[in-house]
This record gives sequence, C-alpha cells and structure tokens, in this order.
Amino acid sequence: MRHFRTLLAHELRSAALSWNTWAAGGLFLALMGGIHFFALIEASRAPGDRTPVESTLWFFWLPLLCVLPLLTMRTFAEERRSGTLAALLTTPASATAVVWAKFLSTWIVWVVFWLLFTVFPLLTVQRLGTPGDTRLGDPAILWGGLCFIAVSGLLHVAIGILCSCVTRSSALAALLAFICLLAMTAAGGAMESLPIESWEWLGWLREPAAHLRTFGHLQDFAAGILDSRPIVLYGTGTLLCLGLAVLSVEGQE
Amino acid sequence: MNEAAPLPEAAVVAEKLTKRYGSLTAVEDLSFSVAPGEIVGFLGPNGAGKSTTMRILSGTMSGTSGRATIWGVSVALDPAGAKRHLAYMPENNPLPEDLRVEEYLTLRARLKDVEPARVDERVRKVMDDCDLTRRASGRLIGQLSKGFRQRVGIADALLAEPRVVILDEPTIGLDPHQILGIRDLIRSLRGKMAVLISSHILHEVEQVCDKVVIINRGRLVAQGRTEDLRRELLPEVSFTLVTRSDEAALLVACRAIEPRATVVALPSAAGWSAFRISLPTGSPARETLAGALIAAGISLREIAEDRFGLEDIFLAATRRSPGESRRS
Repeated sequence: MRHFRTLLAHELRSAALSWNTWAAGGLFLALMGGIHFFALIEASRAPGDRTPVESTLWFFWLPLLCVLPLLTMRTFAEERRSGTLAALLTTPASATAVVWAKFLSTWIVWVVFWLLFTVFPLLTVQRLGTPGDTRLGDPAILWGGLCFIAVSGLLHVAIGILCSCVTRSSALAALLAFICLLAMTAAGGAMESLPIESWEWLGWLREPAAHLRTFGHLQDFAAGILDSRPIVLYGTGTLLCLGLAVLSVEGQE
Repeated sequence: MNEAAPLPEAAVVAEKLTKRYGSLTAVEDLSFSVAPGEIVGFLGPNGAGKSTTMRILSGTMSGTSGRATIWGVSVALDPAGAKRHLAYMPENNPLPEDLRVEEYLTLRARLKDVEPARVDERVRKVMDDCDLTRRASGRLIGQLSKGFRQRVGIADALLAEPRVVILDEPTIGLDPHQILGIRDLIRSLRGKMAVLISSHILHEVEQVCDKVVIINRGRLVAQGRTEDLRRELLPEVSFTLVTRSDEAALLVACRAIEPRATVVALPSAAGWSAFRISLPTGSPARETLAGALIAAGISLREIAEDRFGLEDIFLAATRRSPGESRRS
C-alpha cells in the first residue's frame, strides 16, 4: 500500500475539482430533495406508517442506480482510455494502493452526498417541527439509515470500481455498474418472492436469499438492530470486488 | 541520486526477452545491455517490438520469458525496486489534462519517492531544465502544445534523478526548434543516467547516442557503436565523382587500382558525367584514388567520399535476416 495517502489526497482533490462530481452531486440533491418534498406532502395529506424521512430513505435505490455509476464510471475506464493509468503504474505506487485510493475517495464522496442530504430533514424538523415530536423525522432512523448507506455503500462503490476496471469506456462502465447494482438491490426481493419452498432442488437458495434482502438491511439499520451478517456480507463483497479490481489493473497490458 | 549502492556493470539488461501474444511473437530472444551513463538508441521499423520491449523493461508489461534487470534489480521479481531506479516515458506520453504542470510534477515526485523536503526543489529544477517555468508551470496540461507536453513528460522522467531513463519516441510530433531543445537536454544526461531512447529520426539518434540497438520483427539484428556497425554492415566505401570521361574508361582506371571496384552512372549535367565508384573497405583513400585516376588520364572535376549515415546502417541491418545478427 505504498503511497496510498498521496494517491488518496490526489483523488479527493481531483473529485472536488471535477465537473463530474458536481454534476452527480447536483443530480443527487435534486433527486433526494424532490423525493423528500413529495414525502412531506404525502405525510401532510394522510399520515401513514412511515415518517417522511423513512419514506425518503426507502428510495435510496434511486440515487444508487442513477448517481453512483456516474461517480465510479470514470475512475479507471477514463484513465485506461487515456493511458494515464499505465503511466501511474510506472511509478513505485502499487496497483493495490491505486485501487484502494480510488475506492476510498469515491466512497467518501458518496457518503458526503448523503450527509448533505441530511440538511433537508434537519431543516424541515427545525423549521416545521416541535421539540419531542418525531412525526417529521426521527433522528435515530435518519442516522441508522445513513449507517446502512455507508456500510452497503462500501460494496456498491466497490462494484462500480470493478465495472470501471474492466472497460475503457466510461459509458459502458456506468451501464455495467447500473446493471450490477440493480441486480444486487433487486436480487434479495426477487428471490424472496420466488416460491423456493415448493422447489426442493432450489432449497439451498433459501439461506443466501435471506441474506441478500437489501431493503430488510435498511429496515434493520434504521430500527437500530445491529446484525453482523449484513456487515460481513458487505465487507467480504467489498474485499472480493476490490481484489478482482487489483487483478484487473495489474493484468492490463 | 543515491550514491551508496555499488555501480552495476550494466544499468539495463535484457536477456533472451520474449513476448508472445497467442501465436504472434512480438519480441523473441532479445538480448542487449546499456551501461551506466550511456545513451543508447533503440531502433527498428514500425511493429518491430520496440515499444513492447520498453514496456517490459519498465515493468508495465510482463514478458513471456527471459530476464530484464534495471540497475541490477529484476523487473519481474522486484518491480517496485526496479521502478525506483527507472523513469519511463511511454510513446504517446499520456498526461492528465486537468492538472497544472506544477501540480502534476509535485504529485509524480511524491509517488517516485523523492524526499518530501526536496520535492519543491526537484520540481523547480526539472521545470527549469525543461524550459517549463516561464511559459507553462501554471497552465493546465490539457492546454499545452505537443512540444510542451513532451517537455512535461521528460521533466517527469528526470524528477527523481533515476539511474535509468527510457524514452519512447520523445521527439515525435515536435518542430525542429523543439527537437533541438530535447536533443540538448538528452545529451546533457550523458554520464549521469543510462538512457534508452527509441526514435524514428535516425539523424537525431546518431547525433545523441553512444550506441544503437537495432531490432526487426522482434529480434536483434545489430547493436554497437555507429562506426563499428558501419564497418560490419556496409563493407564498402563509395565515392561520387564528376568527370568528362566515359564509364568504360573510368572502370578500367578503377580496376587498375582495385580489381573489385564497381562503377555506376548517376544523373548528370550536360557535358559532365557523374558516377559512383564502390570499393571494398580498406581501399585507397580519396586523395590516393584521385591521384591514380588523374594519372590514368581521367579528367576530374570533383570527387567526394560518400558518408554512410545511420539511415544506411539501419536499412542494411533491417534488410538482413535476424539470424545474421551479431554483437559488435
């Protein structure tokens, strides 16, 4: 991991100055601001089971599919296309350090986007709420949900990075990331809705399917339930994707 | 530059390097070396395997077999160690468009293990050496001309004062003024760093390099000093002369001096005839030949010895089959 800190600082600086990050950030805040606005409108019409914050967080998949691929698509694909990745690897910096620096900087940007989103519910509560009233948004749910976003974001960003490693086209990298993240988000729900019990030969899928329920993880985190299984799932998945990304970068000739 | 380590016999060693892509062999059994402080030209026609060899030596590509060392460190076994002694400028010199020259060089200095306290000093030094300080230091790389981009690439190569510099086509796309500047810069590295430089501008290579390595179809066809290669590959001396005599008379006069002499007529002006006389190496010098021809009744207007340049050596070397190659 030689030069990791130098590379991370460079990546964060590049991300901060990149039009791509600002465009993705604008899109993210517009999406989440819009969703939160409509959640508030909906809650004011007919109070339901969920608070506006919960309803907004439930739509985490929308920026995940539309914004995250924009952040990850250029990380390696653009550098491979322009040849700057090969030039970077002529220095003593290792491929592992390069991959981890890009991964961590993208993850930090992703988490910062979500932290910026908290301005909407916090402002709403401050301007419209009354002390002790959690109908507009329970802070525990908000921060629990953000913890889920941060933990699952490790794997989601790693998937995007891996997709960017395998192609020289940023557009293709974004499309690949979109498909993989869609499959990952929908897989648990889809498998749960399958009548697995009635197909004996698919019985072995029951256990993995239970682990893949992304929305269930969000619910658990938001409710403050700390289950080690999703953390292990996201952690090992992240390491696997980044390991493959390192191999891909090392193997590029 | 770290002077503590002992000086190796060769700064760059390529030993039986081979690179295959499926059934295609890009480089085969290629062996050569570059001594410390030596400037070596790496020549070959397009597709000969020059860039592939340079990429293997720089550790950005692995060879199929063979051994490559940089300053005594194996590129395959200790790539990070080898890269610490090496700077490599690839053919198209890829640079990030959105960084300023100074920022880019500072980043590269940090990645190349330049001591933190010396980073600013080294960046300033290479920018001065490459004439970047005044006209390009604060500009975005994406806004620079081709010439300045090449200078940035070379400045990057010199940043960490490496033992070995590999430059793949450093003067490609430059105007004559810029080529002169780059040539002087490379020449100034003689004795300080081992430089392996590939170029299609043979005149440039001849002017700058101590030695040349010529490859064709992935295999070595010649290596050595230009003078040695000239003797090896061009075993003739030739003279161009202008005379009023005819070809037959000239041939008789030449054969009297050297029985293996040949005479070829060249396009000539009215009233005068031009010929090229070829004699084996070791034949009489121009003055002796001129004297002998005048004594034989040949009326000479002018006589000049043809100088074979690197271009002729390159053409002769790349025409012969790789199996004929030998070390000079």
